[in-house]
Amino acid sequence: MNMPASVRYTLSGISWPVYVLLYTPLALVAYYSLTPHAASEWHGYQVLFADTNVFAAVRRSLVLALGSAFTSTVLGTLLGYGLHRFRNRHATGWLSHGPSLIIYTPIIMPSIVFGIAELIFFNLVHNATGLLAAGLQTMIIAHITFQVPYVALTVVARLAGLDPNLFDAANDLYADAVKSFLHLTLPVVRPAIIGGFLLGITLSIDDFTISFFTAGPGSVTLPIYIYSAIARKGVTPEINAIGTLVIVTVIVLALAHFFITRHRDRAGQFSTRREAT
Amino acid sequence: MIREKTEIELEAGRQRRRLMITSGPGLIWIMLFLILPSALLLGIAFFSSDDYGNPVMPLSTQSFAQVAGYSLLGWDSGNILVFLRSLQQAGIATLVSALLSYPLVFFILSQRPSLRPLLLLFIVLPSWTNQVVRTYAWMELLGPNAPLSMLGHALGLLPPDLGMAPGSFAVTTGLAYNYLPYMVVPLYASAEKMDWTLVEAGRDLYASGLRLFWHAVFPQTVPGLLSGIIFVAIPAFGDYIVPQLLGGDKAMMIGSLIANQFTETPDWPYGAALTLIMLVFTAAGLIAFRVLSKKVGGAEEAAI
Repeated sequence: MNMPASVRYTLSGISWPVYVLLYTPLALVAYYSLTPHAASEWHGYQVLFADTNVFAAVRRSLVLALGSAFTSTVLGTLLGYGLHRFRNRHATGWLSHGPSLIIYTPIIMPSIVFGIAELIFFNLVHNATGLLAAGLQTMIIAHITFQVPYVALTVVARLAGLDPNLFDAANDLYADAVKSFLHLTLPVVRPAIIGGFLLGITLSIDDFTISFFTAGPGSVTLPIYIYSAIARKGVTPEINAIGTLVIVTVIVLALAHFFITRHRDRAGQFSTRREAT
Repeated sequence: MIREKTEIELEAGRQRRRLMITSGPGLIWIMLFLILPSALLLGIAFFSSDDYGNPVMPLSTQSFAQVAGYSLLGWDSGNILVFLRSLQQAGIATLVSALLSYPLVFFILSQRPSLRPLLLLFIVLPSWTNQVVRTYAWMELLGPNAPLSMLGHALGLLPPDLGMAPGSFAVTTGLAYNYLPYMVVPLYASAEKMDWTLVEAGRDLYASGLRLFWHAVFPQTVPGLLSGIIFVAIPAFGDYIVPQLLGGDKAMMIGSLIANQFTETPDWPYGAALTLIMLVFTAAGLIAFRVLSKKVGGAEEAAI
């Protein structure tokens, strides 16, 4: 792309300030987490590390993220694989669009509608059967529901990039369906499966709205803890300390993932995020 | 001939069974835990509500009258204003993110290919930190005691003791900040595939920079732009946490209005009717853009 120098300078002149602006609020959270006027600059962090509620919330967030991402990776991988391999491409009629419609519903559905629909559903089920009381289990179910499509799309994107003859070759060698899935499909889509799992964790950590409406009294996760603390007593150095730790964790994980996978095929990495959004 | 046909049918049956085994669980999960609950939620809109806001028989359209602003006290414009404000906020946030995305995308494309994924990552990264954290971060940046507001006080642009947050400016900013990557990424995807020979041809014909952009560059990025508009406008329209934290009472949006009917002062049928109307708006916008992008041709086609 050869652009005239003036265009380049204009683009840089607009873009670098935008980059700075993107990180200013995050930096401010870290700045306000320090308390220069208190006995110790790290007072917020000391309060934080002495607070058992915070640790409980962190533990619940981890259970939620890992549990939901693991389940949605299994469901989503099978879903994507099945749609790619066994779907009748020549089918017509509205029923043939069914799977696509189902997959795109969680992606398009506004979070607030998603969360409230789950709230009502779990409420009705609980009143009728006594099962599924609002708590970590209902949150995990809801998180699985919004992650499955992203995992499926990641896997489909990977499969679509493969040579279709690969599967015919496996068939010619008399590999049955299970064998060809275990020995052929799983190894080739492994990057997509890992990517889908990490995307699932990311989406789970990022979510507030759906968690908020599916949580019960005993299932305060970190984002809900932060939200109710702000609602109660505004933003304190302690809250900024939690925020800083969340921001740093996400940035470190994302960069680690980026540099570990940088030598592999990176083309799909952002295309999944595009569909993801 | 007959045997052959049955063989084909058998194979089709086998394929269908394999599809059920592999894709079935995931599809059923989504139907059971999202599509069924949404249908229930929308169904509730057609019930009456009792004193505690629970849905009861008989069926009625009373809740839709409530949505339109009619109550025992007569007509009130509050709801219409909330809807219009949500549309306006989503529209401005989309416009701002589109205006910022073009220079960002072409800035990234003007860099070395090896550097581009990293530059893109740094745009997407803030949107991976938690919704609450990155939104309350703006409370600190725009709040009454924040440096920006102090500057506003000093210049006399802001009344003393008032910050830029909470308020409608803060909501727009928060929404644009939250959803900017959702515009940049699809736009980047279509700009990356652009045919630059068209630009060269235009330059050979001494077209000015603006005309070059408008006639040679912009049309090629329209598919990405349309996807981006959908990805920004739809979630921004129904956003909950941004107006909740940055909005205050005077900047309420539809998401908070719906949530209130299920939390603070429960009225399920009314809340469900609001949801239904909001989804109608969302679907109308979605279909309009689908049609538009089909017309433009070659929008980013869905993977499945």
